[in-house]
Amino acid sequence: MKILEIQDLCVTYIAGEKRIKAVDHVSFAIDEGDSLGIVGESGSGKSTMAMAMLRLLDPRYTEITGAANYRGENLLTVDPRRLSELRWKDIAVVFQKSMNSLSPVHRIGEQFEDIYRVHEPKASKKEIRERVEKLFAMVNLAPRVYNLYPHELSGGMLQRTSIALSLLFHPKILIMDEATTALDVVTQGQILSEIKKLEKSIAVTRMMITHDLSVVATSCQKIIVLYAGQLMEFGYVRDVLANPRHPYTEGLVRSFPSLHGKKEELLSIPGSLPDLSNPPQGCIFAPRCPYATDQCRAHRPEPRHIDDLHVAACWRVKGGIQDA
Amino acid sequence: MKKYLLKRIVTAFGIVLFVILLNYVIIRLAPGDPVRIMAGFDNPSQELMDALTKKYGLDQPLYVQFWRYITTLFKGDMGDSYLYNQPVSSLIFERVGASLLLSGVSAVLAVLIGSTLGLYAGRHHGKALDRTFSGVAYMLNAMPSFWLGIMLILIFASTLKWLPTQGMVNIRKGYTGWAYVVDVLQHMVLPCATLVAVQIPTYFRITKSSVMQVMAEEFVTTFRVTGMSERKIFNKYVLKNALLPIVTVFGINLAYVISGSTLIEIVFSWPGVGVLMYRSISMRDYNLLMGVYLLISISVAFMMIVVDLIYAWLDPRIRYD
Ligand SMILES: Nc1ncnc2c1ncn2[C@@H]1O[C@H](COP(=O)(O)OP(=O)(O)O)[C@@H](O)[C@H]1O
Ligand SMILES: [Mg+2]
Repeated sequence: MKILEIQDLCVTYIAGEKRIKAVDHVSFAIDEGDSLGIVGESGSGKSTMAMAMLRLLDPRYTEITGAANYRGENLLTVDPRRLSELRWKDIAVVFQKSMNSLSPVHRIGEQFEDIYRVHEPKASKKEIRERVEKLFAMVNLAPRVYNLYPHELSGGMLQRTSIALSLLFHPKILIMDEATTALDVVTQGQILSEIKKLEKSIAVTRMMITHDLSVVATSCQKIIVLYAGQLMEFGYVRDVLANPRHPYTEGLVRSFPSLHGKKEELLSIPGSLPDLSNPPQGCIFAPRCPYATDQCRAHRPEPRHIDDLHVAACWRVKGGIQDA
Repeated sequence: MKKYLLKRIVTAFGIVLFVILLNYVIIRLAPGDPVRIMAGFDNPSQELMDALTKKYGLDQPLYVQFWRYITTLFKGDMGDSYLYNQPVSSLIFERVGASLLLSGVSAVLAVLIGSTLGLYAGRHHGKALDRTFSGVAYMLNAMPSFWLGIMLILIFASTLKWLPTQGMVNIRKGYTGWAYVVDVLQHMVLPCATLVAVQIPTYFRITKSSVMQVMAEEFVTTFRVTGMSERKIFNKYVLKNALLPIVTVFGINLAYVISGSTLIEIVFSWPGVGVLMYRSISMRDYNLLMGVYLLISISVAFMMIVVDLIYAWLDPRIRYD
């Protein structure tokens, strides 16, 4: 069953005279229980997409169109009271900068308490504490963290705290925005395996935002590849990574040699993201694409289906067969 | 914590001692001679000048004078004022209350009003009221305090005659009890308003920028996305985080509470330490000037410790052990 359906989402930042198209006509849907990786180099609009879905962008400086349907309700238009209800109980987030994701001058427990009482105003201190300590145990944190201040924790512990916080109400959707990026490889591996273990015990649909393909490869079923705010490719991780249909995905996969097991020359994609306030006319990736033709430079390709799920926005994809 | 406090007090004591020495040297190096001033400028008699020099020990070498000053100081004696012919301690003691009253009340009012407006402006940045406040703050900031004081006197005292022009009490009436309190309050309105008006912009600006900075912090987004109400986020979490810089500025202002209002005390003939300091400077009243400076340095040293303690209490990231 579909739990979240993004339809034609566009997000434009208005910065003075400039209009930056950070998310450009993105559509996809995910099912309950899915784990979706959202990849793309930094600046490709991954965070913006998540922030827009959660209505965290300041309407004074952003323009959002399209829909984000969560179980039939459009998150972009539900009234604020309903939105507050949905927030955290249904959809929770773990941000990248867990260093600053809690107030530095309040105890962690106090902040958990206040957040818990947003949705359970009558909960007792003891009840909350028990619940939080149970979550702490799930993410390998000592109970005493409850009485500490954020600065007294290491980066890994803070990230675990953020994850525990996100699980406070058993959310249906959990968005992790570069949640492990800032951590050392060992801690990152630990946390990833903890998350996978957690998912066995609680039913949650996870969206994993990252620029690290290996994180997606090891922890997600489906993948979205974003480039310059546009959806390049969407499908099962096993299909997309093994047989990328979009030249950008191909480049991404090739620049992660560890994915193949054998050592290959690290081929990064030459060039850089286009200016989002003044994007090129045709395919947004054409200026960096080794296969670009005149058609690519003139017309933007719509996402095309390769099979039921797998789509790629490339002229080279034709009715299920890719031209050589 | 106790150990830290003790260390701070000892250091503060050392600093005050050093400041005494520094002040002593600077005051003595400055041009001007109290004896000549005391003896009068037209045709002073040499005998009088010699007698005065001897009386105040000014004929001794500087280090001997300093040693004598320090040793008597430790006995609790700050020497006599040349100008008033009274012990410096009693002169200061008589007036310190008036200064504390005026500057203390003004400082508290200024921080309350300035930061309340700043909180509002920071929260509603860019709205009409914010722009109005910011404009007024900018204007007040550009106004010299003495000029504002004189204008207020001209308008409310000289022209409208609503309030007294100067002093702290009406000497001729000699009120007592409740009437005395009311009298002092009436005299306080204008100097206090002046001081508050010129101090508001500092608090306003600091608070506004502090609030805006905190509102942009990641944790505010966290609380928002949990569904917490904006009011709760602001009143509990933004407020405490935004408070720290205000405390610093308030503490520094309080440290100068005794001497910081000199100009306004002079404009309004407020019988405080400020006037005493001004006259002791112009008359080269060494002992009196040293006494006033000593008081200032002690109050600064004391307030710095207090600010640090408040800081440690507000911000768990700071721990003194
Ligand atoms: N508040 C903002 N105002 C203007 N532009 C922004 C803002 N936030 C992000 N952007 C721009 O939007 C684009 C997408 O940014 P972001 O969503 O953070 O990318 P990602 O998370 O993939 O690294 C970038 O070009 C970035 O410069
Ligand atoms: Mg990002």
